[in-house]
Amino acid sequence: MNANGIILIHRGVTKLVKQPTAPLTGFAMSMFFLIVYNAGIGGIGSMDAFGSGGYLAFVFPIAIISLAIGSSAGAIQTLQSDMQSGYFKRLYLSPAPRWLLVVSPMFADTLSSLFFTLLLIGIAALFGVGFQFGWLSVLGVMLLSLLWSLTLCGFSAGIMLRTGKHQRAAIVTNIVFPLLFLSTTFLPRELITAQWLLAVSWANPVTYLLEGSRYLLAGTSDAHFFYVAILIFVTTSLVSLAYALLGASKIKA
Amino acid sequence: MAAEIQIANLVKAYANGTKALKGVNLEIEKGQCFALLGPNGAGKSTMVGILTTLVETDAGSFSIAGIQPQKDAASLQKVIGVASQENELDPVETAENLLVFQGRLFGMDKALARKRASELIHTFRLSDEREKKAECLSGGNKRRLHCALALMHRPRVLFLDEPTVGMDPHARAKFWEVITQLNREQGVTVFLTTQYLEEAEKHASSMALLINGQIKYAGSISCFKNLVNPAGSLSLDESYLAFADSMKADLSIS
Repeated sequence: MNANGIILIHRGVTKLVKQPTAPLTGFAMSMFFLIVYNAGIGGIGSMDAFGSGGYLAFVFPIAIISLAIGSSAGAIQTLQSDMQSGYFKRLYLSPAPRWLLVVSPMFADTLSSLFFTLLLIGIAALFGVGFQFGWLSVLGVMLLSLLWSLTLCGFSAGIMLRTGKHQRAAIVTNIVFPLLFLSTTFLPRELITAQWLLAVSWANPVTYLLEGSRYLLAGTSDAHFFYVAILIFVTTSLVSLAYALLGASKIKA
Repeated sequence: MAAEIQIANLVKAYANGTKALKGVNLEIEKGQCFALLGPNGAGKSTMVGILTTLVETDAGSFSIAGIQPQKDAASLQKVIGVASQENELDPVETAENLLVFQGRLFGMDKALARKRASELIHTFRLSDEREKKAECLSGGNKRRLHCALALMHRPRVLFLDEPTVGMDPHARAKFWEVITQLNREQGVTVFLTTQYLEEAEKHASSMALLINGQIKYAGSISCFKNLVNPAGSLSLDESYLAFADSMKADLSIS
């Protein structure tokens, strides 16, 4: 990455530090899910299906997923505010490569997402959530979070660049949010009685993200969920990145 | 002498069917202050958008300082400075930070960018505003900062799209003092679009009249006035109106 890339990423990170509302909102949303669900239905965590980790470990991956949805990664905040103010056009008139103008804010937002993921993991560890493979589990959860954030960032950026309307970034989170509830979000597969929900959950990529994380935490899922999750979200990250980069050449000035 | 800006058969139509440019040809020589005039919707901003690489052309070609955008867009962007109609400022950054960041994007190191930013802050009389966030600046100061950003990297061609809209008379006079100095002393070519024809008459040496996506006149301002009224008693404003009246059919732009 050249000097312009470093300057643009530095600017993106500095802006998030100066205006942390979006990432803090995502973090607060994640903590809300974690605390409220555990307080409300945490008692069922003693059932065998939840393994030895209890309900907190089971519900923890939802906090990771909702972090990216509610934070800057979901809204690709830096790019959005630049488009809103018109400043993006000025950046566009600079000799910095156009792909860099798109990738740099995505990178800054993903870094922010990773920072808060690490914070969530620390809090979860303090509350007794176990990590089956120690640091490897932490790295695995971070990797899934990274790929998930990149996916959201890329599609959000691509839509904004193509339409020229920063408000359209919300389309991605609006599509993704229902997927959270069409999955094994609150209960393990064994305890879901509605066959249609089970069927839908198999086709829902969020299921693999949840179950893959659960494999790394309390070991309540199989390893193949983790590997399938990696496969799915490496693919979606690459596709969304390509979508965003192609959008850079179609910017509505 | 080779033209600084060469435009050949530029065509642009938008997805909604609007034909913004219908084969525009123009040559602007180095060091000129050139005014592109025309009614609203004539295609002036589209033309500036194309020349500054913001808008893609459907057909035709152009070069600036001998550089063709298809071959080397980054080099072209280094030789042009753009102050467009809207104030494209990051509202939460200070005036000084915006200037320094602009310089850094154009390859200056931090010390050089700071030095150049200080020069422009002084030139545009923004000393009291240097630490203020862009969102806290008055309309006139925003415009001045916007123009200062366009000049940060010392461009050899400066595009000014309605640059003095929102400026008070004092700020406008100061702005033109700076631009005239750049044009006359440093040989910066100025490409101006404006609806303030008295400004064009006072500061520009040549002009083109764009109506309905076509150039209806290109040449010196004095020749245009003579063309409309050989007696030579009309101002550019009056000549423009007289010319426009004679072309009413063309001016019924949708």
